[in-house]
Amino acid sequence: MLQVENLTIGYGKTEVVHNISFHVQKGEIITILGANGAGKSTILNTIVGLHQAKDGSIRFQGKEISKARPDQLVKQGIRLVPEGRQIFPQHTVLENILLGAYIEKNANKIDSRLQSIFERFPRLEERKNQMGGTLSGGEQQMLAIARALMTDPTLLILDEPSLGLAPIIVGEVFDLLKQISSSGVTVLLVEQMANSALKISDRAYVLETGRIVLEGKGEEIRNNSDIAKAYLGSI
Amino acid sequence: MQEIVTALANGSIYALMALAIGIIYSTTQIINFAHGSVIMIGAMSSYWLLSFAQMNFITAMLLAVLINIVLSIVIYKVSVEKLGDLTNNSRWIVTLFGAGIIIDNTARILFGTEPKAYPYLFDGKVIPIFGSKIMVHEIMMILVAVVIGIVYQIVIQKTNFGRAVRAVSFRPDTSRLMGIRSNHIVLICFAISGAVAAISGALIAPITFASYTMTYSIGIKAFAAALIGGLGNTKGAFIGGISLGLIEEIANMVVPGGLKDAISFLIMIIVIIVLPGGILSAKLFNKGELNAEKV
Repeated sequence: MLQVENLTIGYGKTEVVHNISFHVQKGEIITILGANGAGKSTILNTIVGLHQAKDGSIRFQGKEISKARPDQLVKQGIRLVPEGRQIFPQHTVLENILLGAYIEKNANKIDSRLQSIFERFPRLEERKNQMGGTLSGGEQQMLAIARALMTDPTLLILDEPSLGLAPIIVGEVFDLLKQISSSGVTVLLVEQMANSALKISDRAYVLETGRIVLEGKGEEIRNNSDIAKAYLGSI
Repeated sequence: MQEIVTALANGSIYALMALAIGIIYSTTQIINFAHGSVIMIGAMSSYWLLSFAQMNFITAMLLAVLINIVLSIVIYKVSVEKLGDLTNNSRWIVTLFGAGIIIDNTARILFGTEPKAYPYLFDGKVIPIFGSKIMVHEIMMILVAVVIGIVYQIVIQKTNFGRAVRAVSFRPDTSRLMGIRSNHIVLICFAISGAVAAISGALIAPITFASYTMTYSIGIKAFAAALIGGLGNTKGAFIGGISLGLIEEIANMVVPGGLKDAISFLIMIIVIIVLPGGILSAKLFNKGELNAEKV
């Protein structure tokens, strides 16, 4: 579904990601693991069109998308839930969700998706008229995911969804991602919380200072303690 | 009474001008230094349409609004969009000043240097209110400003477009992830700002005379009003505009006429020093309001 080949990305003259290749197949949950500064967010921002690659190709469902704009990619079914959730704190919860459906002009579709989102996240319905900034961290993460689901994406990309959340909430977020995946959405996430992420992942890539140093099944990487020590710190 | 109405009428127009600056500021965090010139073009073009093309006021106004929308879009395309990420450079300060000077010089050649007497609405009709003679034109200035302010506020708070404007002004990159084309939103804001500038320029021109120097005589007050009230929101624009109108009328009574603008700007500087976010940032106005986190 998503094919990244020989991707090189930089900011100005500094290269951050060097010649990486990876792919995501339909229905999979893929995790990219790596420490701070490994280039994970840069890769995701480049896939969704916020940043331009220096070199290499990104193909989505066979089509080259490395030059596409974010709004075009949203229309094609790629959604990013950004690092740190990035909800709109001075918009109400409902407005945040509706902003997620900005490109959708069909009011009936918006209504029915809104209904199913409120069924999945009853907390958000209870708080729909509250300002986004008043939600707890976990609720904000749910809101950020709900917002992305408003266009029925085929590929959902998440940048460190566990960041700054209590362990019990992290568990809830990963359960939710599993649910979303089983409803037919392909999921690509980057994480530092290796253990929880690997538990739900089909495959994983390990990224170190802008290079992919390892790839394998989620379970394999999780059970390989050398890998854990070498690349992920303690799991 | 008459002085109060004049203060409110001028203040309402300053508010409109400040609102137009705020529309652009809220989505881009830049101040359109060419805005004074855009106001002047609104006044001058409607003057020529009225007096030479002999159009009626409504047609002339609509055309002047259209001219200003096109002008503002050109300013955006040439002096702003080409610069890329505005948070990383301050080149817009010079490109917008440059655009303003080009517009002023062009206006001087096109319209001449002589100030023109711009006709009042309803031929300057005066009606008695509480024993004072009030010009209908001044009442119209207040009404039009209030209506535009309310409509703008409703659009910003209640529509899809308004939601997107607020989103872009808070988190431009995240807005793009929602599928919002931030550039388009900014372009539309420039267009709206130009339209509002045309109306404010045409309404204030009978009081100041229409001339290419309006950029400085009037346009500069837009910045003062915007900064006194607090940039980027309707309430702030109106508080700033009306305050400026009142300050001027009071200054008129106590100091020689030539010092009026100096007093206005002195007060602007004092307000900025004491309340960097404008009058609206004072604690008095923010009781119990939540301070949403900005990550």
